Amino acid sequence: MTRKNSRFQLPQLSRSGVVYALLVGGVMLMAGCAGTPPTEQIAVTKAAVAHASNAGTTQFAPVELQSAKDKLARAEQAMEKKDYALASRLADESLADARLAEAKSESAQAQKAAKDTQDASRVLREEINRKAQ
Amino acid sequence: MKKNHFFALSLIGVAVMSGCSTMPQSTTLDSARVDYSKAQANPQVVTLAPLQLKDAGEALDRANAAQTSREDAEVVESLAYVAKQKIALTQETAQRKSAELAVSNASAERNKLQLQARTNEADQAHQQAAMAELTAEQKTAEANLARQQAAAAQASAAQDQASLAAMQAQMDELNAKKTPRGMVITLGDVLFDTNQAQLKSGGERNVQKLAEFLKRYPQRTVLIEGFTDSRGSDSSNQVLSEQRAQAVSMALIGMGVGRDRVSTKGYGEAYAVAGNDTASGRQLNRRVEIMLSDERGVIAPR
Repeated sequence: MTRKNSRFQLPQLSRSGVVYALLVGGVMLMAGCAGTPPTEQIAVTKAAVAHASNAGTTQFAPVELQSAKDKLARAEQAMEKKDYALASRLADESLADARLAEAKSESAQAQKAAKDTQDASRVLREEINRKAQ
Repeated sequence: MKKNHFFALSLIGVAVMSGCSTMPQSTTLDSARVDYSKAQANPQVVTLAPLQLKDAGEALDRANAAQTSREDAEVVESLAYVAKQKIALTQETAQRKSAELAVSNASAERNKLQLQARTNEADQAHQQAAMAELTAEQKTAEANLARQQAAAAQASAAQDQASLAAMQAQMDELNAKKTPRGMVITLGDVLFDTNQAQLKSGGERNVQKLAEFLKRYPQRTVLIEGFTDSRGSDSSNQVLSEQRAQAVSMALIGMGVGRDRVSTKGYGEAYAVAGNDTASGRQLNRRVEIMLSDERGVIAPR
């Protein structure tokens, strides 16, 4: 019944109204397909990758760092080809890689520091025990 | 009718397609879900990286939603990848924070240990100082004692020498003679008349000197031995010799010498010191000998 109603209601609209609706729909469709260029997102990712590119990540998270750099480059290529959806996805992935690389590097360095401190404590304790004897 | 028929067919077609086509699979999303479950089960992640875990959960939700609403495979894949990296980030963050905690704990412990070490060293130094002080005190005490002992020894040596000299002087005065049995004082016949046991007054002076000597050296005792010449019978001489020793003993006791320190013995005409064939020889034999004991009161038997 609803289908019938709709079918009978459409012709009731004025001709100009139908044209307008089609125009709006077309614009919306185009916007959905091409999208706006994710310029800001690319900029944020670029900054994050630059920040993550340091000696620590090179040593402790080389795979993640390389992945971040590669994906950023591919995102920029996608931007040039106006494939904004792909550029956005690649930027997202690159950002996640960069953040992970940094976290990995910091974690490794903190763990190394912890081990060094614990070793120092152990040495000290042994020294004290030796002296106490 | 025909239009309706077509529409119905198309509906069936859509229904069949949706029924047949399975949910698009993504291995990345599957592994991201597994990783997320692990992260949620890890108390270290839950306590140390709660914000990161929330962020990762939201990323995973977006990937799940994209899959449910059948978005393009590459979109789902990308969202799943981002979620997976964010989940890995939670692990790394938790590990970093845990390590940082360990560092701060370890430095606190090290400070404690260093403090303990310093305390130990200080204690040890204290003990050593106390020990050294004690040793020094002990040494001083020992030195003092040694000095005192040396002084005492010197003093007693001086005293001994003095008293020895004094005793010697007195013994000389008593005409004491050194014999193998000890010191012997011989009171000559001038003390007694023939056949008499009465001390003559001249003899009493000698006895007086002996009494003073004995008072001065109370640890010494005396044995008084009486002798006679050979005139008269043996038995009367025995009695006479005993009486003479007794007379000296009584004189000493009368002058304040303790009874227990004086013993007597008579030998009659035995142990003559000279011949009895002349008057002068007999005079030497009529005598009383006084044996002085050693310092322990012992007198060697005749």
